[in-house]
Amino acid sequence: MAFFSSWWQWFAGFFFSKSAEITIVGLQASGKTSLVNVIGNGQWSEDVVPTVAFHFRKVHRGNVTMKIWDLAGQPRYRSIWDRYCNGVDAVVFVVDAHDKEKFDTAKFELHQLLAQPSLKDVPLLVLGNKNDLEGHATVNELIKALDLDKIQNRPVSCYSCSMKSQHNLDIILQWLAGHSH
Amino acid sequence: MSLASKKDEESGLSTYYNNKTTVIQEARVFNDSPISPRKCRALLTRIVYLLYVGETFTTQEATTLFFGTTKLFQHKDSALRQMVYLAIKELATTAEDVIMVTSSIMKDMQPNSEVIYRPNAIRALCRIIDPSMAQGVERFFKAAIVDKNTSISSAALVSAYHLFPAAKDVVKRWVNEAQEAVNAKGSGSFFGSNTGGNSYLGWGSSSSSTTSGYQAIPSTSYITQYHALGLLYLIRQQDRMAVTKMIQQLGGGKTGSGTVLKSPLALCMLIRYAAKVMEEDPNVQRQMLDLIEGWLRHKSDMVNLEAARVICELKNVSPAQLQKPIAVLQLFLSSPKSSLRFAATRTLANLALLHPTAVATCNLELEQLISDANRSVATYAITTLLKTGNEASVDRLIKQITGFMSEISDEFRVIIVDAIRSLCLKFPAKHASMLSFLSGVLRDEGGYDFKRAVVEAMFDMIKFIGDCKEQALSHLCEFIEDCEFTKLSVRILHLLGVEGPKSPQPTKYIRYIYNRVVLENATVRAAAVSSLAKFGLNSLDDKLSKSIKVLLNRCLDDVDDEVRDRAAMYLKVYQEPPLADIYVKEESVFSLSALESKLVSYLSDPEAVAESFDVSSIPKISRAQAAKEASRPSTLETLGAPSTSKAATPPPPTAAETQSAYASQLAEVPEFETYGTVLNSSTKPAQLTESETEYQVSVVKHIFREHVVFQFNVSNTIPDTVLEQVSVVMQPQGETGLTEDFLVPIPQLSSANSPGIMYYSFTRDTPEEYPIGSFSCVLKFVSKEVDPSTGEPEAEGYEDEYSLEDTELSAADYIMPTYVTFASEWDRLRGGVNVTETFSLPAMDSLKAACDSIIEILNMQPLGGSEDPQSPTVHTLQLSGLVAGGGGKVLVRSRMTYAKGQGVALELAIRAEKQESANLVVAAIM
Repeated sequence: MAFFSSWWQWFAGFFFSKSAEITIVGLQASGKTSLVNVIGNGQWSEDVVPTVAFHFRKVHRGNVTMKIWDLAGQPRYRSIWDRYCNGVDAVVFVVDAHDKEKFDTAKFELHQLLAQPSLKDVPLLVLGNKNDLEGHATVNELIKALDLDKIQNRPVSCYSCSMKSQHNLDIILQWLAGHSH
Repeated sequence: MSLASKKDEESGLSTYYNNKTTVIQEARVFNDSPISPRKCRALLTRIVYLLYVGETFTTQEATTLFFGTTKLFQHKDSALRQMVYLAIKELATTAEDVIMVTSSIMKDMQPNSEVIYRPNAIRALCRIIDPSMAQGVERFFKAAIVDKNTSISSAALVSAYHLFPAAKDVVKRWVNEAQEAVNAKGSGSFFGSNTGGNSYLGWGSSSSSTTSGYQAIPSTSYITQYHALGLLYLIRQQDRMAVTKMIQQLGGGKTGSGTVLKSPLALCMLIRYAAKVMEEDPNVQRQMLDLIEGWLRHKSDMVNLEAARVICELKNVSPAQLQKPIAVLQLFLSSPKSSLRFAATRTLANLALLHPTAVATCNLELEQLISDANRSVATYAITTLLKTGNEASVDRLIKQITGFMSEISDEFRVIIVDAIRSLCLKFPAKHASMLSFLSGVLRDEGGYDFKRAVVEAMFDMIKFIGDCKEQALSHLCEFIEDCEFTKLSVRILHLLGVEGPKSPQPTKYIRYIYNRVVLENATVRAAAVSSLAKFGLNSLDDKLSKSIKVLLNRCLDDVDDEVRDRAAMYLKVYQEPPLADIYVKEESVFSLSALESKLVSYLSDPEAVAESFDVSSIPKISRAQAAKEASRPSTLETLGAPSTSKAATPPPPTAAETQSAYASQLAEVPEFETYGTVLNSSTKPAQLTESETEYQVSVVKHIFREHVVFQFNVSNTIPDTVLEQVSVVMQPQGETGLTEDFLVPIPQLSSANSPGIMYYSFTRDTPEEYPIGSFSCVLKFVSKEVDPSTGEPEAEGYEDEYSLEDTELSAADYIMPTYVTFASEWDRLRGGVNVTETFSLPAMDSLKAACDSIIEILNMQPLGGSEDPQSPTVHTLQLSGLVAGGGGKVLVRSRMTYAKGQGVALELAIRAEKQESANLVVAAIM
């Protein structure tokens, strides 16, 4: 029966497959590449080399094919974010919820990005990563710190999660699948 | 293809391709999901096409396109990826933030990625990384250079070549790999068994590899060797020993058979390097020449040709050495391949300039090439024959050239006309037939460059061959009747104005010139008016003079003001004949560079605008000198050196140019800001030390209105010491009329930043007088040794002194040579200051020596060839000069006699506009 259902799923993939193009941005060392790794092959690693410019990755999850642009977060690369957000199905903004000092910078960069005309109506998912650490910001704190309530004309979601413990990973995937087409 | 369909293609296809806006709009396909590789590839092709035909994208557009293309990295299609790399390479120069794709490219470069586009990735990478990242890719490159796949290896070598200027140190470390790539027996031995069929299989295997992904493609061209050799040379070019060694190693012994180089291109490159080494170092000339001669017998035509060419272009090559290469070229002359014939004739044509006799052995073959179907070959054959031929063959050749002049392009016609031009001067007796040839081609259709060459050739004939002047002028007259080039018309009209009045029948030119006033545009009309006036004012014939006056009066009604102004001016000269001496017959012009620098300083000084510009302070030069300064690369050069691509050394700067250079140097020193403009600077630095000493000092004197500034150029030749607080202390000897102001020392002087400049400023006590005197000079400095390990000078130094020769401030520093018409100026200054003194110079042993020393002491312009005494006993030297700072003109007439045993007796008559100027000259001689 289990065999049959997995076979059915694979078969149905041909007819009901969905795809989503997603861009992941955020300040450096917030966990963007870790998120891609975890979604892609479920593996988390302590040392991730800082991304240069961008990584492109294609991930199959169930009947959803996700094309993920994992952009670099260092200041010199932030100006190119909007170029890769053009026409995507969703933008994921990753924040290090434990590093509260950087919230202001993150808020500035996020709103700067959302002001770009090419990002009009694109859904936004904000992730407060690293909630396994003591003293991390909660979802409500994040919403206030990043002024998420002031964003208009687009669906915005905010989750607290951890890539290390894979906490809330399922709802993230659900959200992403929900925005595929 | 029929003409119609070609036109269709031009208007249809190319406008479709040429439209930048549509391309940018369609760049949306890059963002499509899913990506269509076919569409994207087509669009990328169009972008690259636009870039190749010279379309430019703004930074904004290029950046947008660039980031669009980077999105295509998500697709695995290899043909698309190759196209992406091509586009990235082209866009990288204009787009911003290109560094973004580094990681994507690096992924494709991985040695384990067995993909067809690995070479493309390598080539694109070198365009986008900055020098600081070169270190990071070193490992990739080292591996790629020695890769067994030639296209990867070539790509890495070429990229290294491009990276070299930016990241020398890193690329230098790849020398061993490059050496290995040169030596690699390469795919030749790797696929040794099927070398025979390679040329057929090459294409097949490369096309199949696009489908199968990755495969080592056998190469028949050994192109890697060429690329590797280029890189090796680039790395070693500073080290002549290493280059010599490399050439000997790769040259493979005397016969050239032992060489590992199989690529003819690489061998050609090696020959060029060898030629360069030979030119720089005569010691190895013998060995290199042996090697190159060996290559004359190589099995590739390209190599033979290159070797022959290099020997032919060798400086001071002997006729015996030329024998072999000429024999090789002679063989090529009868080759069925037109490219070979062209190359051989071109080389011979260049060689014929210097060694016509050596080339003459090929005359028979060259004669046959005159009728060659390829007109370029025929042109070179004929120009060569013109140079090697004797007087008897000239007529025949000219007849043959006339036959095909209309069939060749302007560029080659210019070559032929230049050849004819040098030929006229070689065989003046043949001028008649050459002149008729030139006038014939002048009537042909042709562009400006061609017509100019013909007109210049005729100018030369007029200048150098007196017999043909009359006829050449009338040909030129006919030419301007129907000449579409304003520049040429103006030049011809000017020449007519100069030469016409001297001819026996000046009247016959008037009609042609006046026709221009009636028919042509304003520029030509103005030139025609000047030319007419020269006839009217120079001619002795009263009747002619009167009729020209009538014509000039008519010009007063012209619509253009320049034409009217000129006519009015010359009519005024008619009324006052003495003006003709100044405006029509004047033989001198302003020294243009001096005039320019004075005008620049006049305009940059806001206070000076209150007064009008003082023209009289500008030195004049004679027309002959002016012509020499502005000389076009003309006759003598086409006769002399071969016009090879070697850069000619720039002519030494004229006195006026050095003056303006000094002026700009002085302007940089803030202390001299209030001094005003420099009135005069000494033309040549005077050496105060011997040329071999440790410290070398020379002095240049600058005269200001109220100051005198001594500029000392100090050089430190000792590499491991640094001099600090370098200054020259000047001690006036006796009363000089100068008060010391200050000095500007050189803070630090090492051998690297030598020469340094140090200034010493004096105030002239009474600015109206010209103080002269002598100063003893001592160089003072603090000497510090440099620690060789750190390159830092020691903390403690010791003070030292170095005595220099005395510096003289003399009359020559105030006087500039200037050209005048001596007799008339001498008369004009009769009413000015007159001083006459007699001297006896017993030490002088000839009149020539006396003249030379007087000219040197006074720094004045000798006039009318009077610097060369004709008689050994009696001579009159005429000099003219301009005294700086409003001193006005000074003329000197020096009558001298020479008697053996008594030396030279001198009577110096000075006429000047001011007393002080005359005093200055007298004081200088005493």
